[in-house]
Amino acid sequence: MGDLLKKTIFHLIFFHSILFSQVTDCSSVQDPSRIIIAGGSITEIMYFIEAEEKIIGLDVTSVYPEETKKFPSIGYVRNLSAEGVLSMMPSLVIGEDDMGPPSVIKQIMATSVDLRIVPEHHSADGIVKKINCVGKIIDEERLVKRVIRKKIMPSVNQLHKVADKNKKSDIKVMLILSMQGTSPIVAGTKTSGHGFIEMIGAKNIFDSFEGWKAVTAEAIIAMDPDYILIPSRDMHKNSKVATITEHPIFAKTTAGRNKNFIIDDGMAMLGFGTRTIFSALNAAKTISK
Amino acid sequence: MLNGLDRFFRYISLKQLIIFNVLILVLILTMIVGISKGSFDFSVLKYFTGNLTTLEEEVLVNIRFPRVLLAAVVGAALSMSGACLQGLFRNPLADPGLIGVSAGAALGAAFSIVMSAEFFPDFLFTPYLLPLSAILGSAFVISILFIITRGFGFEGMTYMLLAGIAINALAGVGIGILTYISDDAELRGLTFWTMGSFGGVTWNLIIPAIVIILSTIVWTLRISRKLDLLQLGEPEAYRLGVDIKKLRFDIIMSSAIIVGISVSLTGMIGFVGLVVPHLVRLFGGVNHHYLLACSALTGAILMVNADLLSRILIQPAELPVGLITSAIGSPFFLWLIFRMRKK
Repeated sequence: MGDLLKKTIFHLIFFHSILFSQVTDCSSVQDPSRIIIAGGSITEIMYFIEAEEKIIGLDVTSVYPEETKKFPSIGYVRNLSAEGVLSMMPSLVIGEDDMGPPSVIKQIMATSVDLRIVPEHHSADGIVKKINCVGKIIDEERLVKRVIRKKIMPSVNQLHKVADKNKKSDIKVMLILSMQGTSPIVAGTKTSGHGFIEMIGAKNIFDSFEGWKAVTAEAIIAMDPDYILIPSRDMHKNSKVATITEHPIFAKTTAGRNKNFIIDDGMAMLGFGTRTIFSALNAAKTISK
Repeated sequence: MLNGLDRFFRYISLKQLIIFNVLILVLILTMIVGISKGSFDFSVLKYFTGNLTTLEEEVLVNIRFPRVLLAAVVGAALSMSGACLQGLFRNPLADPGLIGVSAGAALGAAFSIVMSAEFFPDFLFTPYLLPLSAILGSAFVISILFIITRGFGFEGMTYMLLAGIAINALAGVGIGILTYISDDAELRGLTFWTMGSFGGVTWNLIIPAIVIILSTIVWTLRISRKLDLLQLGEPEAYRLGVDIKKLRFDIIMSSAIIVGISVSLTGMIGFVGLVVPHLVRLFGGVNHHYLLACSALTGAILMVNADLLSRILIQPAELPVGLITSAIGSPFFLWLIFRMRKK
C-alpha cells in the first residue's frame, strides 16, 4: 500500500508519458481478482459471462443489471479520481475509450495496478469482439468462447439476416436522444446511435453531419422518417417518452402517423454491451414488418 | 394609449422618427425573408395563390411562422429590457442577465431536464413542464428581487447589482450540481438549452407568451420620460418628481417578467440585450422614448436574422441561436469600445 501511494505521488509530480495505444489491447493480466469497471457495457458483459464476483467497484454508467447498485461507485467515467480508484485496492481497471481524464489514466497506469482500455466499434461484430476482449483480459477465454457460441452468435446471425433484408427495402430512420425545451437532438454519423441504426439495416436520415446535433422541425418533416428510435433511460416512465411521441412535429411524418416509435432502454440501445444485440434484433424485426 | 402615442411623437426628433419608421419596414421585410426560407424547400408565394400542398402549408403555418414570430418577440423583449436596465442602473454594462432572472429560469429548466424523471408525477409530463419550471425559477428570483427593492431608498442601485451577482452565483451552483449528476442524454439537452433555440415551439405554447411580452413592452414604454430624468442622477430625478422606488420596482418587475418568459421558451440567448441598446444609441441618440422603442425593433430584427442563420447555415442540423448572437455581438461590442478609445 505504502509503495503504491508513493508511486502515485511520484507520478502526480513527475508527469509520466505513456502512449494510450499501449493499453488498448486485450492481453491478459496477471491478477484479475479485484476488478474496477468504468463503463456500463463492460459491466453488462461481466454479468453476462457470469464473472461478476470479481468486481469490486463500478462507475455511475454501470446501472444494469439491478444488482450493480450494491457496489461502491467510483464516480463518472470521464471524470475519475486516481486516489479514489486506487483506495479500493483493485488489481485491474477496465474501461472504454471514454474513460478519463487522461491525466488520471496516466496516474493509474504508473502504479502497479493493471489498466486496460477495451476498443469499441459500433457494430454487432464489434460487440462480439468486445466480449472476447474482456474474456482475454480476465483470462477466461474458454468460458467466453462458449458463452458467445451458445448465447450470442445465434442472435447475431439472426440480426445480420434481418438487417440484410431491411437494407434492400431502404427504411428511413432517425434516433432522438433528447427533446426538452429545444429542437430535437438526433444522432448524426460517428455516434453510437448511427451505429445502432446501421446494425438494424436502416438508413439514418441525418447522415449529412457528424455527432449529436439539434435539427430543425422542418428538416424532420422534409426527410420524413419511417421509424423513430427513442432511447429512454427510464422504461417505466413511459410518459416522459409520450412528450416526444405526441409532439405535433411528428404527426406530419410517416413514423408519427403510423405510431412507428421504437422505444428501449438507453443503455440497451446505445451502450454496445450484450443487451444492444438483443435490442437491435428486436428493432430490426419491428422495422422489417 | 392615444395619449401615450402623442407623447411618443412629441419627444422624439425627426431623425429618430425616420429611424423608427425604417426599422419597422426592415422588421417586416426580415420577417418575410425569415418565413420564406428554411430547410423545407417551397415557395411561400404559393400560399397566397392556394397552391401549397397540405404538408407545405402545415410546415409554414404551424412550424415556421410561430418560430419567426417568437424570435421577433423574444429579440424585442431582451433588447428592451437591456435598454431599460442600462437606463435604470446608468451603467452601460447592464443586461437582462444582470439581475439574475435568466439564471433563475436556467436553474428551473435544468431541474426539469435532469430531475423530472425522478421527481414529477406522470401526469405532469407535457411540453409545458420545462417552460413552467423555468418560469417558477425566475418567479423565485423575482420575489427575492421584490424583497430587496422594497427595502432600499433611492440610493440602493449598487446593492441591486450586487444582489444580481449573488443570485447568478447561487443559480450557477445549482446548475453545476445538476450537471454533475446528469447522464449523457440529459447533459446534452442541458448544453443545447443553455445555447438557446427557437425550435420545438408550438402555437399553444407561444401565444400566451407573445401576449404577455407584447403588453409588457407597451406598458414599459410609458416610463421613458422618467428614465430620461433619471440620467441626471437619482437625487436630481427625485427632486424633479420621479418616484424612484416605484420606477425601479416597475422596471425590474417588467424586465423580470419578459426575460423570464423569453428564457423559459428559448433557453439562454446571449449578448442581444447588451449590444442592441448601444447600437441604437449610436445611430439616433439617448432619448429613452426613441431608445426603448427602437431597441425593441432592432432586437426583433437581429433575432429573426440570427434564427434564420441558425436554421439554414448547416441544414438539416441547427446551430444554437445563442452562438450566432454572441458571435455577431461580441466583435461589434469590441469595435464600439475601440471607437470610444479614439474619441
